[in-house]
Amino acid sequence: MSPSGTFSRRSAIAFTMSPPDLEHLRARGRWPLPNRPRVAIVGSRRPSPYGEAVAEQLGTDLAKSDVIVVSGLALGIDAAAHRGALNGGGVTVAVMGTGVDVVYPAAHFRLAEEILAAGGALVSQFPDGTSPRRQNFPARNWTMAALSDVVVVVEAGEGSGALITAEAALDLHKEVMAVPGSIFSALSVGAHALLRDGAGLVQNARDILSILGLVGEVLDDPLPAPNRLGFALLPERDGLVAHLSDVLALSAADVARKLQLPVSEVLGRLTALELDGAVRRHGAGYIRALRRGKERA
Amino acid sequence: MLAGLEARHVEVQADSANGEAKFLLVGLAATSVKEARERVRSAIKNSGLDFPQRRLTVNLAPAELHKQGSALDLPIAVAIALTQIGKAPPHRSAFLGELSLDGAVRHVAGVLVAARWLRKRGYDRVFVPAVDAAEAALVQGLEVIPCTNLAQVVGHLVRGPAIEPQPPTEPVIEHDLEASDCDLAEVHGQDEARRALEIAASGGHHLLMSGSPGAGKTMLARCLPGILPPLELAEAMEVAQIRSLLGDLAANRPLDWTRPFRAPHHGVSMAGLIGGGAGLALPGEISRAHHGVLFLDELAEFQASVLQALRQPLESGRVAITRSAGAVTYPARFMLVAATNPCPCGWAGDGLRACRCTPAVIDSYQRRLSGPLLDRIDLKVGVKRVSLEALASEPLGEPSAPVRDRVIGARRIQLERQGCLNAQLKPARLRQLAVLDSVARRTLERWAEQRGLTARGFHRAWRVARTAADLDGSDHVAERHILEALGYRLHDVAA
Repeated sequence: MSPSGTFSRRSAIAFTMSPPDLEHLRARGRWPLPNRPRVAIVGSRRPSPYGEAVAEQLGTDLAKSDVIVVSGLALGIDAAAHRGALNGGGVTVAVMGTGVDVVYPAAHFRLAEEILAAGGALVSQFPDGTSPRRQNFPARNWTMAALSDVVVVVEAGEGSGALITAEAALDLHKEVMAVPGSIFSALSVGAHALLRDGAGLVQNARDILSILGLVGEVLDDPLPAPNRLGFALLPERDGLVAHLSDVLALSAADVARKLQLPVSEVLGRLTALELDGAVRRHGAGYIRALRRGKERA
Repeated sequence: MLAGLEARHVEVQADSANGEAKFLLVGLAATSVKEARERVRSAIKNSGLDFPQRRLTVNLAPAELHKQGSALDLPIAVAIALTQIGKAPPHRSAFLGELSLDGAVRHVAGVLVAARWLRKRGYDRVFVPAVDAAEAALVQGLEVIPCTNLAQVVGHLVRGPAIEPQPPTEPVIEHDLEASDCDLAEVHGQDEARRALEIAASGGHHLLMSGSPGAGKTMLARCLPGILPPLELAEAMEVAQIRSLLGDLAANRPLDWTRPFRAPHHGVSMAGLIGGGAGLALPGEISRAHHGVLFLDELAEFQASVLQALRQPLESGRVAITRSAGAVTYPARFMLVAATNPCPCGWAGDGLRACRCTPAVIDSYQRRLSGPLLDRIDLKVGVKRVSLEALASEPLGEPSAPVRDRVIGARRIQLERQGCLNAQLKPARLRQLAVLDSVARRTLERWAEQRGLTARGFHRAWRVARTAADLDGSDHVAERHILEALGYRLHDVAA
């Protein structure tokens, strides 16, 4: 795709950035990285459950194919990608916008430890002790692109930092790919703009592997849906779940209207489902949970 | 003299003695009272009465009580006039009123409060400014003498009764309240918020609405007075007393049956919201909202300290304020209805428009709505923007009238069962009156454990469930009621 994207507001920052010096990165863990293909998975810090599930699944599948998963240790898509790679038994690298000794957000302390324990690394272009500063993150995004062979964008709203990573990747002649989302979701705008401009379509990990030359053919079959809950719901409640989406939150009133039921009853049933871990609150509404009980970090 | 919703008795003694013509006023009088000297002197002269050309001492007893306000003008002037004429003051009578220089008796605040207190203390008669007479005559068993000017009052006292007592103001309950400025029929969609509003109105619960700008939070709140029952007589009297203190009562219609709806701006000061002022505190917005609704729009924009101060009244329904001249307690049993954006830009969780706030910013924005305050709010509901095409169509919402009938029905059940609304039930009575079946209990306990519900939150959810059951006409609280109540305990304002 051409670098003349639609996200020009951020481009001004992006293009004034010089390519980072990869020789002088600070690192904790295994460094330099083993000589294997590297894929960055980036996206929103507040994704939908759909985006999170996609990032985690891709992380796992890539890790199983011995690909190193690169991401930024941030909330949301980043954490899901790291987590997925760890679940797949793979090596993952967190490119940090702080000093390598400053885990940000602090809630990801354990995740950082696990990355190290699994033979991955935390790297940063900033001196030790650097605290999180807004102006440092675009530079970090460039480093992430520079360290990777392919950048995959999963759910990035307008103006998302993930789009800086994508632009940096173009500038550095790296491949950019994107996962489509719902056309109803504001979180899809960034990834869809990339796809419109020629980014590679990601429907499953094989799409990425084929770009890396690891598998010969591109298949059109979508990712298998993640095993949703692993337990059976009461049938009366399950019926309600079918009316919920895993991308867009529906309010109790929306569902009640659809089913022609009183809102008080639907709200009660949704609460019961929430108690069971089958649905989650999302904004002013409810969304189908894709994994049981695991709270977003 | 008034001290909050209590009054203090001040005896005015006047004595004229031989000596240089001088007017002394003693007895710990504040500036507003000292100025009475000048007003009283002119008023007496301009009423065609003699002002003593001797050494005049006016004593305000008890001497240690700090006195303030202009209501002492009339008693001082009457005392002087009677001393001059040599007549004893009437028995078991009280006077209050401010004088203007020409002798006219002017309005003072708090006449109703003073009259009630005088009645309780066994007084027979009170002389009040004519404009405030209807207000004072709300008190049964007290003769109210409306005073227009000083000459008339003195004539009445010296030459025998000339002023007709004010006939008692009969509290006539007006059933057809003025149409509220918002009707639920005008609200598009928002079924969840409507239901929450109905539950809140039925049980007197506090409500928080969270949603993007323009989602309709303010309009929903403004519909609330229209679905509440009119005030009861005792409630209307309490509301009238607060308004009387603030000089806010309509002269021709002292009792108002509409529940108060107060919506202070988020710039409101602590004194403005809670009550305050120099000397003794005056009631603030929370007391003006007594028996009604306190609507706080843009909750996160209020000063943190001001919101903190809401916590005590939210629990106890009253507020105690200490100022230099002493402590007063005002009732403040209001329904709190608050509205907030989910984040500073307002679009978090909107779905249609992207939010530009970072998670850290949203976090700190929401933390401003301190946990303890949110914990005291029983119902939290997200309000979603309605699409433009839906707005253009005819709203299909249920109008306020049937909702109000259901609210009144549910309130009647509560008052008959326990003499108060569910929101005011103490935990012990709640256990007694809102028995949970075993399934409902297990569900509530499971939720409490999973979400780390505080004991307060636990009981609040239980109370809301009681109200849901009352709206349902159900004696016991079933699982569906608990589940619905828990549905309104959003822990997260945005997400």
